[in-house]
Amino acid sequence: MQIRDYIIRRLMILPILIIGTSIIVFALTRIGGSPIGIYLSHEMSPAEVQEMKERFHLDKPVPVQYFYWIKGVSQGDLGWSGVASAPVVDVFPKKFAATMELAIAAGIVAVSLGIAMGTFAGARRNKISDHIIRVVSVSGASMPLFWFAILLLIIFWVWLGWFPIGRSDPNLFEAIPHPTGFYTIDALLAGNFSAFRDAIWHLILPAVALGYGATAIIARMMRSSLIEELQEDYVDAAKAKGLAERVVLKKHARRNALVPTVTVIGLTFGFLLQGTVVAEIIFRWPGLGRWMASAVLRGDQATIMTYVMFTSILFLFVNLVVDIIYAYLDRRVVLGD
Amino acid sequence: MSPDNLDIQNSLDKDLIASVTDLKVYFESKQGMVHSVDGVSFDIVDGEMMGLVGETGCGKSVTARTFMQLVQSPPGVLAGGNIKFRSKNIKNGSQVIDLLDLSENQIRELRGERIAMIFQDPGKALNPGLTIRTQVAEVFQEHRENDVLEKAGLKNKLSGVTEYFVKKYIKQEAGFLVTTLFKIPPLSTYKKKIDSGINRLVAEALEETQIPNPTKVMERYPHELSGGMKQRVMIAQAIACNPDLLIADEPTTALDVTVQARVLDLIKELQKRHKTSVLYISHDLSLVRRICDRIAVMYAGQIVETGDAETIFNQPKHPYTQGLINALPSMSHERGKLEAIEGIVPELIEPEPGCRFVSRCMRRKANCEEIDPKLKPISEVNKSHKVACLLYEA
Repeated sequence: MQIRDYIIRRLMILPILIIGTSIIVFALTRIGGSPIGIYLSHEMSPAEVQEMKERFHLDKPVPVQYFYWIKGVSQGDLGWSGVASAPVVDVFPKKFAATMELAIAAGIVAVSLGIAMGTFAGARRNKISDHIIRVVSVSGASMPLFWFAILLLIIFWVWLGWFPIGRSDPNLFEAIPHPTGFYTIDALLAGNFSAFRDAIWHLILPAVALGYGATAIIARMMRSSLIEELQEDYVDAAKAKGLAERVVLKKHARRNALVPTVTVIGLTFGFLLQGTVVAEIIFRWPGLGRWMASAVLRGDQATIMTYVMFTSILFLFVNLVVDIIYAYLDRRVVLGD
Repeated sequence: MSPDNLDIQNSLDKDLIASVTDLKVYFESKQGMVHSVDGVSFDIVDGEMMGLVGETGCGKSVTARTFMQLVQSPPGVLAGGNIKFRSKNIKNGSQVIDLLDLSENQIRELRGERIAMIFQDPGKALNPGLTIRTQVAEVFQEHRENDVLEKAGLKNKLSGVTEYFVKKYIKQEAGFLVTTLFKIPPLSTYKKKIDSGINRLVAEALEETQIPNPTKVMERYPHELSGGMKQRVMIAQAIACNPDLLIADEPTTALDVTVQARVLDLIKELQKRHKTSVLYISHDLSLVRRICDRIAVMYAGQIVETGDAETIFNQPKHPYTQGLINALPSMSHERGKLEAIEGIVPELIEPEPGCRFVSRCMRRKANCEEIDPKLKPISEVNKSHKVACLLYEA
């Protein structure tokens, strides 16, 4: 079987997974009770309350409500956000872009640093540099995000004043068109270098805070799987061909060590999305996470469902990409039925 | 280098390709030093097939790996001895060197070029993530960059900086930036030529080991080939540079019996055609007898008996060799019964003096537990037949 067929087959499973996710998301949210509360005020009469219920189809049985929700979603109506006092669909894209920018930046930090640190440590097993990386990564995996984020905030914003918090200066970005909603990419597309620098500058602190835990996990995984690969016969066989240590490590061992690491990377992405809630609150990042936190506190179910649905679909897509990379790295995967 | 060392180097007999003297390789462990190879000495005659026989864990693979400095250190420790090797480099004429004295870069020049190795399990010795082409190509890229240039039609056509970078690229020494530059025009034209040059060399190498359809096979991944095919690929890779010494570490153990015979015949045939010397490692005495000119029998890190194949088989002198030959099933044996040597291999951690075989020996004498037997010729007629046993010491 070709890799192309493999991708097509994986894509065909995707809709089924998405439908399943939507049922679970809807059911779990409704367990929290009827969402009517957010739409009511103290001044409303019982008749008005009944009218609101009918307007949002909340007088119908829950399974029927599900279909009304799906119908709305398919027509681009994600419901009314009580927290934002606006339709979810109007607020969502901007906040989604902000969160994605943060999560992707953190992902880039985690993947590049994690693989580099893991390879470095694995190739120098039990040397000083391996021990130092172990300390760094164990603390990364065990420190709670909120604590580490506040620590960074205190040191680099309060004390040293090296990095700003929040997202970039709105004045700087008002003049720039926003085709993607990613400030960094928008600034580059507009050719505005100072805006780009500003966007990156604002991104560093939350991205590092958010990415540290994932970096640690990826580094640990990479180190152990590289050590395992370096014991394999093919490493000796490669050396027996006269290849330099560098080629043996980078071309032979690292490539195979990446196979289990890539799986972990896919899972860490979920970890990152979850972390954005904390990171956004601490660094005042105007993304989905902060919106979501207040939505949960106030029972804004339309927002919650949209958020959970989108992040689930995103997670599915990331893992699809991971599986494709996996098949590319290890061709034996494609063979299986 | 001290004059003393030079003296050792020049003393390799004319007809030998390699000579191992008093080789000691130990491994560090929590219980103490494991004496895996403890004073091993043997010669490999130029152009012959030398069999190294012994049971699992007796140190034969470690001995073989030491030839290429492939023993991992730590935990491996080279405790003594030397391996003299006649490198028949065409440019500098033949030259005797001590393999254990070489630096990492010097030994790398010999690996795959003058000394090559075939591994026990071809399924594990080929990288699962790379195509056959990529893996066989590496030998040419590392040692035969001029052949690659010639096949690519680029020989004497490059100059200066371009030549420098093309050579770096072929030898896989180029950094990420240069490698990427070779993927885009204008340098990609060179890459195409180099690739087709490499393709031709790889196809020729695969053809040498009778692989059908080499151009197709080389685009495959190892898991798409059968065990026998994989071992042929390994052999093709090993003999690609026409080495002086080929080390075959149980090359047929992981294969089906029917494939075994064909792979053996292939090795034997290639050895005859190229006049390569082979160190053939196996635990299978009858197999070694079939293809080897001479045999060394190893037990618990030491050579107990060595001589030409027929002598070892027909007049085994050491009790261990005798036991091994007795243990071979033959047509005259009663059905359902196999002879075995009683007891188990002794621990090799900080071993006591005395013969290593003493606990299992049926013919031991009173002082066998105290005196280390030395490997010596036992008859005036056949000096090459040597045994390490007190029974034959005057």
